[in-house]
Amino acid sequence: MDSASSQAEFDYLFKLLMIGDSGVGKSSLLLCFTVDTFEELSPTIGVDFKVKYVTLDGKNLKLAIWDTAGQERFRTLTSSYYRGAQGIIMVYDVTRRETFTNLSEVWAREVDLYSTNQDCIKMLVGNKVDKEGERVVTKKEGLDFAREYGCLFIECSAKTRINVQNCFEELVLKILDTPSLLAEGSKGLKKNIFKDKPPQADASTSSCC
Amino acid sequence: MASSSNSKADADVDDEVPEEALEHFDDFTLASSWERFISEIEAVCRLWMADGPKNLLEKGAVLLVCSSNLYKVKSEMKYALKSYCMEYYFESTSDGKAIEWNSNLHDLQLCFGVKEFLVIAPQSASGVVLDAPEASKLLSAVAIALSNCSSLWPAFVPVHDPSRKAYIGIQNMGTVFTRRFEADKIGSQAYSTSDLSLHLFKVQFAMRLTYRTVPYDDDDDIKGIDAELTNSRENPSGETSNRTQWDDDCSWSEWYSAEDPVRGFELIAILSDKMVESSMEMAELENASPHEAEKWLISPSFSPNLLEGSKGSRIGFSSQLHLLVDALEMSFEAQFMEDFVSVENPGSDNLNSSMVIPPPTVIDRVMKELFHEGEQLTEFSDGEHKTSRYIKGAPLESLFAQFCLHSLWFGNCHIREYVREVRWCWEESQSLPRMPANGLLDLSTCLINQKLHMLAICIEKKRQLNEDFQDCIGSEDHTDYSTEEESVAGDETSNKQKPIENFSGKVDSFSISDDSHSSGRIIARDGRKPEDASLPTDKKPSECTRRGSAGSIDSMMLLKSYQSMHAPYTQEAPLMTEDMHEERLQAVEAFGDSFDFSAQLEKDILTSDMSAFKAANPDAVFEDFIRWHSPGDWEEDDLKDSVSSSGINTGKPKDNWPPQGHLSKRMSEQGNLWRKIWDSVPALPASEQKPLLDPNREGEKVLHYLETLRPHQLLEQMVCTAFRAAADTLNQTSYGEMEQMVTKMDQLYLTMASGLKPLQDSETIADLRRLSVVFEHVEKLLTLAASLHRKLLRAPRLSKEIFSDFYSFYIPRMGTGLKEDVVNKEFDKKLEVRNHERGVVSSMFSPPTANQSWRKVLSMGNLLNGHEPILREIIFSLCDKVNGNHYAARDPNASQTEMQTYRMYICGTSNDLRVALSVVSCD
Ligand SMILES: Nc1nc2c(ncn2[C@@H]2O[C@H](COP(=O)(O)OP(=O)(O)OP(=O)(O)O)[C@@H](O)[C@H]2O)c(=O)[nH]1
Ligand SMILES: [Mg+2]
Repeated sequence: MDSASSQAEFDYLFKLLMIGDSGVGKSSLLLCFTVDTFEELSPTIGVDFKVKYVTLDGKNLKLAIWDTAGQERFRTLTSSYYRGAQGIIMVYDVTRRETFTNLSEVWAREVDLYSTNQDCIKMLVGNKVDKEGERVVTKKEGLDFAREYGCLFIECSAKTRINVQNCFEELVLKILDTPSLLAEGSKGLKKNIFKDKPPQADASTSSCC
Repeated sequence: MASSSNSKADADVDDEVPEEALEHFDDFTLASSWERFISEIEAVCRLWMADGPKNLLEKGAVLLVCSSNLYKVKSEMKYALKSYCMEYYFESTSDGKAIEWNSNLHDLQLCFGVKEFLVIAPQSASGVVLDAPEASKLLSAVAIALSNCSSLWPAFVPVHDPSRKAYIGIQNMGTVFTRRFEADKIGSQAYSTSDLSLHLFKVQFAMRLTYRTVPYDDDDDIKGIDAELTNSRENPSGETSNRTQWDDDCSWSEWYSAEDPVRGFELIAILSDKMVESSMEMAELENASPHEAEKWLISPSFSPNLLEGSKGSRIGFSSQLHLLVDALEMSFEAQFMEDFVSVENPGSDNLNSSMVIPPPTVIDRVMKELFHEGEQLTEFSDGEHKTSRYIKGAPLESLFAQFCLHSLWFGNCHIREYVREVRWCWEESQSLPRMPANGLLDLSTCLINQKLHMLAICIEKKRQLNEDFQDCIGSEDHTDYSTEEESVAGDETSNKQKPIENFSGKVDSFSISDDSHSSGRIIARDGRKPEDASLPTDKKPSECTRRGSAGSIDSMMLLKSYQSMHAPYTQEAPLMTEDMHEERLQAVEAFGDSFDFSAQLEKDILTSDMSAFKAANPDAVFEDFIRWHSPGDWEEDDLKDSVSSSGINTGKPKDNWPPQGHLSKRMSEQGNLWRKIWDSVPALPASEQKPLLDPNREGEKVLHYLETLRPHQLLEQMVCTAFRAAADTLNQTSYGEMEQMVTKMDQLYLTMASGLKPLQDSETIADLRRLSVVFEHVEKLLTLAASLHRKLLRAPRLSKEIFSDFYSFYIPRMGTGLKEDVVNKEFDKKLEVRNHERGVVSSMFSPPTANQSWRKVLSMGNLLNGHEPILREIIFSLCDKVNGNHYAARDPNASQTEMQTYRMYICGTSNDLRVALSVVSCD
């Protein structure tokens, strides 16, 4: 969509977050979703951020997508990105088992710890299905985990672009289906415009001492 | 003829007696108004008889307040310029069984042993009281009417003053028999049951004894709860404080003492029908112990405040929260804290509308308590409710939560004194009480709490720096350390910077990593001592200007130099409060979409790590750093078939040098940001780097924030925190296994979590008010649950069921509030006591103490642990075989069965006695 103009009109603003081990392809998925290309990217340092405007269900949506680094060194800072996210995309690499087991051992715990949003929608994504020959995590395992953890599930490939659009769309549709998240999505706008800015600036940015 | 419109028409006519004949075609010209009155009654009765209970219910009969089964319909009529009201009482399900004593009976049912009945009385509005002759005249009118329509309903007419509860009544029992009723108070005439028994034989006897525990809150001297509150809590030496309160060990008692919702219990012991054949036996019964009763029923008597919905009647967290919400509302208009909170002029304070303003000394003391006696917390108790976290407040024991609770009870928020104390801690490098000085900031708490946590950490770091500095000067072994480092790094010019600031010597974030990689990094958790010296593999110490190493990593060798890799000390990742995150996110969002964007802070961390790594491994190359920092991006070559980038064939064991492998594709791309950074950073140990978190700067920022808080910013956070802390306090109360209470508590938390989210504008004030009402209900229920629990500790079933009964009784009242018929009903559920529970119940009636004995009046016997019954009710009845009841076709059994020919109900104490008689006679 029209991802260039940041002044575009929109009905809801949703914040999405991508997490998962280093190298599973989060940044590649995001690049694929936002500009529909696949290229080698530097490993993310800390966090990356993209905005994408989409129209779904007749609603104009602004998606602010935060792509975090899988590297542990940056993990203490990532808590801030969880805040207020309406959707969390948990990515693993179907060709590397430890990226899958880390989801339940590391990432799901982080979500429970830092997500401030009880209703927030989670989505499990198995990436790199184009490397079918090297696959070690079966689709069924992914499904089982998703069922247990209560989240959406999809397999995709940033390289062949298969299912990538689907993945984000499904997540957003689910958010649109959840009244409390919908309310947040619309409140965010009002808040940003009217209330929050002046005191915010006053309270924290002014230098002291 | 028997319609209500008809009776209305008649009523109109009655006003002008002479013209009555002209109004109607019916031939009433010869009838007197008396006769018309009778036929009017008759008409109404016929209608009611024809309808039967089922239709009457459909037509809107009213359920009596006292009963679950007794309904009434009524009709109004006029006679001789007075209006009368006739009511028919009936049970919805008439099972034909005799009335049972344990159910809630209507007074007339109890007195006369009847089930359905008519009552006719002058309209109460007209204020008419019947004297005896009038009453009998009225009664005979009804009797004639009933007889005309062959009704067997008993009918009653009240006599005299209503307080006497005197009635006369009559029942047509067929052509032969009539039963007459009479009830009255006998006043202070002593009586003895044996008198009655003299001329009776085979008397049926039943007795109901009601006992009441000594009220728990028996002191009448509790005048102002306010005063007591402040006394007992704020002034430990005050006179009231040594009096023990029922809730002394309840979680809320630190803040207030609640009125005991349970005033006491009533025990009803029922000795049902016994046959008494001699006056001896009769005398015996008088001394019968309630322990012999077949049935025990218990019912609590609740404080009237429990059901009173009006605010202000009850002091608790909810009442204070209500005031706090008021204050929040006002805060939206106040621009500066000075407009809002004024210490010099507490009268203008907005929080204190109905509260006692504590004197300055008290404020001082509480501040002292809050700051100087509060123990240092390492970790907050996790005994909180699972939903607490979703309420943006602060942990119950934390400094800010305690401040909020104190403010709640002061009715005043002394934010400036509070901030002054905080600043004092900061300036004196005294650790902040009730705050952990380590760990991560919990962003789910309110901003003030995050700031305070940050400040506590900054203070700690400041102290560490001071200690380090002192150590450097004074301590022996540390001098060793620094000289060693100095000597190793002797010729480095950059070394003249002293390790001043924020170097804590922890490789914190790497400590999590041990599971994920096989490389076996050394984790230096508490690394003061460099291990450089102890390195066995370090072959060329002379070349090494290694600095800031936390130790070597055994299995890892550098690529370009035959040395083992050293893990450096790294800086702790900086902490950020929510507003800093927010600021950062906003900056990022403003940056927008440039693809190579990276967050500056993380870039700084990476830079710092690279710098430190370079310092610890002077001969390292970029690839070495990646192998250590992002092992996923270093791909080891397969032993057999691959050719390494350096061109040397592999096939050697792993520990052989050099290691074979290459960077991942993404790491080796042109323009890779990581390599760019690597190329640009100097080798600097973490201790000499610019700190990622400057404790002096960040600490001052926190204080600046606290000192320039806007009233509404403060109040918003106080509201959330106070709600949460109040709920967390209540939630610590133990109340046994009352599921409803658990559920209610869960609901409260969820309601708070969603209700306290949007505190952005004044529209939410109404919601917050509702929330404090919800809170009040839950608080009341919880107080009750706790009170019942502790009073019936050894009979948990009773406390559970009483609570459950009350809960179902109370819940409909919570939402609607104003439905009269619901609200007026009193809680009167009685619970049967099981045999094994009798001991517990009996023990609640401890023998009266000396100063209670003045209550004793003339003893009537039937004592329970020395307690007199507050009410003794006895029914004597006499049955005779009755034959000639040939008329009573409606009651086919009557002619064969025994008929209760004589019944006497006695109730009350010896100086306040009420007697009701029913006697069947043959006319
Ligand atoms: N074959 C294949 N390779 C992929 C796919 N998606 C990503 N990759 C590759 O996997 C590597 C890692 O991808 P990134 O997108 O950088 O991974 P990341 O999850 O962002 O990693 P961090 O930023 O370190 O957390 C890159 O070399 C990508 O080219 C895919 O769908 N198929
Ligand atoms: Mg990435």
